[in-house]
Amino acid sequence: MTDWGHRRTIEPRGFSGMIDAYERVTGRVTYAMDVALPGMLHGKLLRSPHAHARLVSVDASRARALPGVEAVLTGPDLAARDDVFPYFGPIFRDQAVLAIDKVRYVGDPVAAVAAVDLDTAQAALELIDVVYDELPPVYAVEEAFAAGSPIVHDEPPRLGPTYSDIIVHTEGGTNVCNHFKLRKGDVDRGFAEADHVFEDVFTSPPVQHVPLETHNCVATISDGVIDIVTASQMPFMTRAILAEVFRVPQSRVRVRIHTLGGGYGAKSVKIEPVTALLAQAARRPVRLHLTREEEFVTITKHGVRIVMTTGVMNDGRIVARKSTCLFNTGAYADIGPRLIKNGGFATGGPHHIPNVWVDSYAVYSNLPPAGAFRGYGVNQAAWAYETQMDMIAERLGWDPLAFRMRNLLEDGQTVMTGEPMFDAHFKELLGNAATWIGFDAAEPPARIGRKVRAKGLSCIVKATVTPSTSTAAAKLNEDGSLHVLSSAVEMGQGSDAVLSILAAEGLDMPIGQVSVSQPDTDVTPYDQGTSSSRNTYSMGTAVKMAVADIGQQLLDLAAEQLEVSQSDLEFVAGKVQPKGVPDKAILYGDLIRGSRSGNLLAHATFATEGGLDPETGQGIGSVHWHQAAGAAEVEVDLETGKVDVLRYHAGVYAGRIINPVLAELQTEGNVAFGIGQALFEEMVFDGGQLQNGNLADYMIASIKDLPDTVHCDVVEHLEANEIHGIGETSLPPVMPAIGNAVYRATGVRITDLPITPEKILRGLRARAGQEVRTP
Amino acid sequence: MMTGIQPRPVDAEGKIALTLRVNGREHRVRARPTHTILEVLRNEIGLTGPREGCGVGMCGACTVLVDGHLLSGCLLLAALAEGHEIVTIEGLEGPNGELHPIQEAYIAHTAFQCSYCTPGFILATKALLDENPDPSRDEAKEYLAGNLCRCGSYVKILDAVEDAAERVRGR
Repeated sequence: MTDWGHRRTIEPRGFSGMIDAYERVTGRVTYAMDVALPGMLHGKLLRSPHAHARLVSVDASRARALPGVEAVLTGPDLAARDDVFPYFGPIFRDQAVLAIDKVRYVGDPVAAVAAVDLDTAQAALELIDVVYDELPPVYAVEEAFAAGSPIVHDEPPRLGPTYSDIIVHTEGGTNVCNHFKLRKGDVDRGFAEADHVFEDVFTSPPVQHVPLETHNCVATISDGVIDIVTASQMPFMTRAILAEVFRVPQSRVRVRIHTLGGGYGAKSVKIEPVTALLAQAARRPVRLHLTREEEFVTITKHGVRIVMTTGVMNDGRIVARKSTCLFNTGAYADIGPRLIKNGGFATGGPHHIPNVWVDSYAVYSNLPPAGAFRGYGVNQAAWAYETQMDMIAERLGWDPLAFRMRNLLEDGQTVMTGEPMFDAHFKELLGNAATWIGFDAAEPPARIGRKVRAKGLSCIVKATVTPSTSTAAAKLNEDGSLHVLSSAVEMGQGSDAVLSILAAEGLDMPIGQVSVSQPDTDVTPYDQGTSSSRNTYSMGTAVKMAVADIGQQLLDLAAEQLEVSQSDLEFVAGKVQPKGVPDKAILYGDLIRGSRSGNLLAHATFATEGGLDPETGQGIGSVHWHQAAGAAEVEVDLETGKVDVLRYHAGVYAGRIINPVLAELQTEGNVAFGIGQALFEEMVFDGGQLQNGNLADYMIASIKDLPDTVHCDVVEHLEANEIHGIGETSLPPVMPAIGNAVYRATGVRITDLPITPEKILRGLRARAGQEVRTP
Repeated sequence: MMTGIQPRPVDAEGKIALTLRVNGREHRVRARPTHTILEVLRNEIGLTGPREGCGVGMCGACTVLVDGHLLSGCLLLAALAEGHEIVTIEGLEGPNGELHPIQEAYIAHTAFQCSYCTPGFILATKALLDENPDPSRDEAKEYLAGNLCRCGSYVKILDAVEDAAERVRGR
């Protein structure tokens, strides 16, 4: 099915696009859900109808008796077993595989069934009798944070082995499962010295990732090995968690990943433990594939409330900022305790502020668990500080562009985590954005009939997870073709293409001679995970190092066979030759065959250094800083409140662009993703019950929501000789750029996302009322 | 457009015999009367190009052509598809795997990322060009608004549709 002829002709330089494009347009690309095994059963989960309740009893006897049902699991049954550790989570092991003592949100899994088909599994769920004793719930993050709130987890969360950058401050007897502190300079003195101090409140609602492929996996237990094919961005975290749950060495767990139908942070470890336990109980392979409705309550973006206080001088300098961030992490912490660190320090923004104080909290509630989401807390932080930048400029009569330019970080100035900025391009990015959109602070909104147009700007900074580790291996085969063994997850970002290009460049060979593996934890070496816009930089560097090692081995062989010193050799199109002497060139394959080495093998580890002081949040927050700017022109209908984004400029710093069309696609994708969050995406709850958990009631951006013009400014500076990930970076600017444009068009300042027509009309009416009252 | 279903025997598993014409070939399958054409295409006929995204006809990932009309496979009962000509993405290629010009255009513009939605978009593009060989960008947007791409490859999709229209007209 693969069009090898098409592939063979591709050279790395100038290649732009996806390696498996043929499979992708013919519908033949394989997702985990396409894997069907002989004898495979179908799993289903029974979910709690209550937001907070004690689990009195679960009686599954009638379900077990239903013909076609091969396994039924309940939390109390799992808790009674010595061979199972029934809790999981990436930081805290606070989530039961199936509820044991309590349920903590509407949708919390209570029992699991594996049956011969989905209809039978569904019928079995209806035969499980559960008795609940309801408890007072808590939903709003301010209420969950306040003294006297119902407590979601009675015991302090159990910390397990986790990532090296995690800082944990847990507050017992409260719903706070982590508190991140940043203390830079002397914020009280900064406010005392400031000519003006402004305090504002900004909120972002929970939204869902909506990968079109929902969570799914197929688990088998064979020969004592837990073998799972799953849609996850985190193969090694999945392996670690399964090893813990089954109390076996990690070498007895095999995790394989196919290309994902979208991830956006949603796909870490969620359904794998219960599916593997079902497969064990049924002694047959089991597939679990969540419905769209289940996906909505499996993982969300954090709803956040940020109180931001900023002190400025009359000359436009920002001298102090204090942020209190309440991240609603829902019923289970997931990665929230780390996300609140990155989202917390991100409130310092891309500005040089000498005095910064941040208190950022992950707060449990009885809503679905929140976790990683494209932007990783920076969306919510940037919504606050980039909206407030315009609000301050407006209050003081300043040009919002000039106010930003006055404060944007330059090389050598300290970022919020106290480290010196380097490779800063904020002013270039924002300048390009303002020029392209034609931003002029003095320009009044343009009125066309009942519609009004205006422009808005934003600029952001984002960390990439630091420290972090990627490892890769490479095999140069006896025909001169190359295998790259990597655990990077292809999820549409084009990882396979990018790693192929970097590997092919390193050995000057056609890209069609390179194959990049899919993750298989039995075979491919460790990677921390495909997240945090880290893959091209971290895995790309590991691959380049491994390939460079192969290159050195080729030079050793060629120097011996040609009797030429290594410094006089060069790689040319799959051959080694004495410099400028193509007649003496030897094919890689011939070198390998001549040496009787069978193949050339290499592996490499790329680990970044850094980390923050647990009390001050000072240190190395990011190995380098991801930078982006946005500019939007919007049109607001004053009668309906509807906002159309007419034009959008997305600027992002890439260092070096590896695959131009994919760089554009990621950037354009962020614009579509951001327009949804700016204008309409919001999970709406009635108490703990989600009201719009399906794609009829929950809107994501369609092709009609896209501006007529999306301008991508992917900035390259080859002299920096470094790759910056761009998967998420251009997303956080979208929401404040649109919000600022809506304000300039209408005079209505919205600080709580999304910017709905209802809020705009309410704002317009309030303004009209004020104008009438003004004499 | 759909004909009525005739009563027919149900087996021990609650399934009925169906004869479906998919991509020009006849398939005899057994399915429950409640099964959708999406379920039958994937689970009985082994075509994985149509994919469930929402289950309620809103995302277009399960798009199939039924007698040339765009339909959501998750909403059409398999039994109602009998007697009709069903085309999935797998039916667009030539006999030796030659790509349809629309598929060529999608590759030329890399009009996809995770590509879960791609078969639906390509079939929607085919239906659009069958109706209107030279659509404006706005007409294309209107027509494709029933297909969702969460990766947001929309700019490249519109470029691919324009290019595909030229390629199809050039044949």
